[in-house]
Amino acid sequence: MSDESQQADYTSADLKHLSDREHVRERFGMYIGDNTSRGLHHLVYEVVDNSIDECMAGHAKHVSVIVNVDGSVTVEDDGRGIPTDRHPQLSEEMDREVSTLEGVMTVLKFGGKFEKGAYQTSGGLHGVGVTVVNFLSEWCEVEVSRDGHVWQQEYQRGEPTGPVRKMGTTSRTGTKTTFKPDPQIFPQTKFSWDILARRLQELAFLNSGVRITFSDAVSGQKEEYHYERGVVEFIEWLNRSSDPVHSDVISIRGEAEGVSWDIALQYTTEYTENVHSYVNNITTTEGGTHVSGFRSALTRTLNAYGKKSGIYKDLVPTGEDVREGLTTVISVRVPHPQFEGQTKTKLGNGEVEGIINSAVGDYLSKYLEENPKSAKSIVQKGVLAAEARTAALKAKALLRERKGALSGGGLPGKLRDCTSRDVEKCEIYLVEGDSAGGSAEGGRRREYQAILPLRGKIINAYKSRDDKVLANEEVRSVISAIGAGIGVEADLGKRRYDKVVIMTDADVDGSHIRTLLLTFFYRQMYQLVAAGHVYVAQPPLFRVRTKKQTYYVQTEEEMKTQLLDQGLGEGVFLPGDGREISGEEMQKLCRTLSGLEDALVALEKRGISLRDHVARRDAATGKLPMYHVYYGVEEHWFTSRDQLESFVKTKEKSAGGELAVGRPEEEQTDATPGTAADTGDDQLVVVDLHEVRSINAGLKELEAMSFGTEALLPQDRTGSEDPRYRLRRGDSEIGLEDLRSLLSAVRRAGEKGLSITRFKGLGEMNAEELRDTTLDPANRTLLRVTMTDAAAADDLFRVLMGEKVEPRRDFIERHALDVKHLDV
Amino acid sequence: MPRCPVCDADVKLDTTPTAPFCSERCRLIDLGRWLDEAYAVPEKKPQSDEEEGDE
Repeated sequence: MSDESQQADYTSADLKHLSDREHVRERFGMYIGDNTSRGLHHLVYEVVDNSIDECMAGHAKHVSVIVNVDGSVTVEDDGRGIPTDRHPQLSEEMDREVSTLEGVMTVLKFGGKFEKGAYQTSGGLHGVGVTVVNFLSEWCEVEVSRDGHVWQQEYQRGEPTGPVRKMGTTSRTGTKTTFKPDPQIFPQTKFSWDILARRLQELAFLNSGVRITFSDAVSGQKEEYHYERGVVEFIEWLNRSSDPVHSDVISIRGEAEGVSWDIALQYTTEYTENVHSYVNNITTTEGGTHVSGFRSALTRTLNAYGKKSGIYKDLVPTGEDVREGLTTVISVRVPHPQFEGQTKTKLGNGEVEGIINSAVGDYLSKYLEENPKSAKSIVQKGVLAAEARTAALKAKALLRERKGALSGGGLPGKLRDCTSRDVEKCEIYLVEGDSAGGSAEGGRRREYQAILPLRGKIINAYKSRDDKVLANEEVRSVISAIGAGIGVEADLGKRRYDKVVIMTDADVDGSHIRTLLLTFFYRQMYQLVAAGHVYVAQPPLFRVRTKKQTYYVQTEEEMKTQLLDQGLGEGVFLPGDGREISGEEMQKLCRTLSGLEDALVALEKRGISLRDHVARRDAATGKLPMYHVYYGVEEHWFTSRDQLESFVKTKEKSAGGELAVGRPEEEQTDATPGTAADTGDDQLVVVDLHEVRSINAGLKELEAMSFGTEALLPQDRTGSEDPRYRLRRGDSEIGLEDLRSLLSAVRRAGEKGLSITRFKGLGEMNAEELRDTTLDPANRTLLRVTMTDAAAADDLFRVLMGEKVEPRRDFIERHALDVKHLDV
Repeated sequence: MPRCPVCDADVKLDTTPTAPFCSERCRLIDLGRWLDEAYAVPEKKPQSDEEEGDE
């Protein structure tokens, strides 16, 4: 390019001018980074940034960007327009008439951005701006509307092809720049719609109120970006396909010491951190002092709140933990930004860190105090992240341990393994308690049955109660003994047994351990349960010895039935009216009473006594009420649906519409009817006493046998007369006060000649007994655990785990009532 | 719809590989809680009899 003879004629000012242009064209990397797609698009940003500056200074509202058919780009704003009059300093330096416009387009480091006050905190690439764009363009054309006229100048590779020309008159103002990137500089000069669209939208988010239109003349595509709520809308857009943890976007804005900030944040259920940070509209990919100020304020404030509110127990989340799921836009404006780092995209101004830190800290702690619901969700999210982090470490350690186990010798020490390796035939019994484990070991079929004794560990988690957990080593023992692994990596092909049998005591403790184990299997060995490899053993509850034999009875109900059958024998019931009931009739009477018994117990569990309930019976039919109804302060009992319905109809008429229906569940566990009004005066609450159906049926049967309802109720008697009823068996006679006690009397009679032992636990059975009842495949009963069973255990577990004691009690009590009916 | 035992999100059991959890991460958290002995049921309970899923 250089021409020595020409160069000799130039003045020193001309020489500098020329070398500006040449310097930029030869060392474009210093100005736009590179000549790849990144640098190419940077040209557009430089021009747009000037227009945005006009907007932010309050002089423009609209920026239009068009990619033209010839590959050039036009950027237009409705700002003041670049001054077109003579620039004295330049004209003097260059010894000819030079306008400000020409200076802006052709002289490096010339422009409003260096004049303090012209633009407070402008973007652009450090003021090199549009000059560089001009230098790197094959051609460029600027049209300025200002002072009632349109002015124009054209350039070729940065050099004016003529003076600034006046084109005509106009009423509008603004600057319109069209340029075509120079293929001598850029190997690729085609603009990407997506890249430009993303940046233009970003600028619209960062500069609220600015309207940016973007169109492609080739494809006809057109977009408009305009966001009155700025970075808040940016967050909403970024989170558009995520689930927010709190509904509102937190917005922090302010200004201090010449630094202004516009920060927005929201947490989602995602696990990654999504930070977009800017200084004077420039993306700071490497972060810097504004980002670090924000982060330390966030960690400090959330942790302070977590500790104060008691959400943090023993685990304190790290900064990384509290940023999990965080989407944030940090936009600051700094008068003299210093950029550092590899790509010069890291803010270095030290003073910014402290300013942002205290601004964010102040605002956020106030926000947390005022929005406890959002605060709790946000802080708990951090706790979960911390938990996930430590859990991952534990899981890794466990995996290492198991790998060691596979290479031999790693089976749990307590495991009494079977000798066969034929997986299809092998079983493992998970046995509650060491002593039962010992008996099981003695009674097992050594070849195919393995025994792993387990114990619930008691911990004192709360002052008020003891808790039972599955100890860490028990969990690990179960995993490594079964051998199939856990989670998604579980491989059923590696399982060491075909049946995993849970064997626990038939008491509350046993049921808890069973619930824990089932829940663990359901959650961590889902495939094992799904494939039907998990079973529950059914050890007997009773051992019965007669002179001739010993046998076992599984359940309470079964035992009762047996005793009743046994006791009926030659028993004769004397109701005191001259009748002698025996044989088949006696059997029928006892069966009726037995059916009534559970229903009566259920009724009494509700706090309703039979005597009171009998007093409420329907005069016409003799039936007991089945529906307990509250309406406001009113309380009613109805014996049929028809009665209930006509009551509701009457009330609807006076209320002038349908009645609000309250929830009866809350009432079921509450024995005192007086509190019904608490549910609201105008609510209709119907408690269905389902057990009364059985009671009514039983009473009818009794009536057929000439027993009135009063036969079930104890009578007030002086005690001196003969017993009301008598039960005769052989020579002996027992007096009975009411019909209900007949059953227990018969059962007691049935116990004669039997030695009945109720096992309080598996440990009370010896090896032989355990083998005969629970281990030997010929005699045992195993229940295969279905997915529904396991899921139900998981449900129950969640209720048991629940923090609130009251709902748990309600659940169990309600459940206890229902069970009776399921069993009938 | 069944819910993830850890984060309470809805889980489609038949199409989620990490069932009954919504994600591997939640499964790990759950595993961590078992290993930490954080899962406890009350030792002394309010009533005598209760229903179990396996009965």
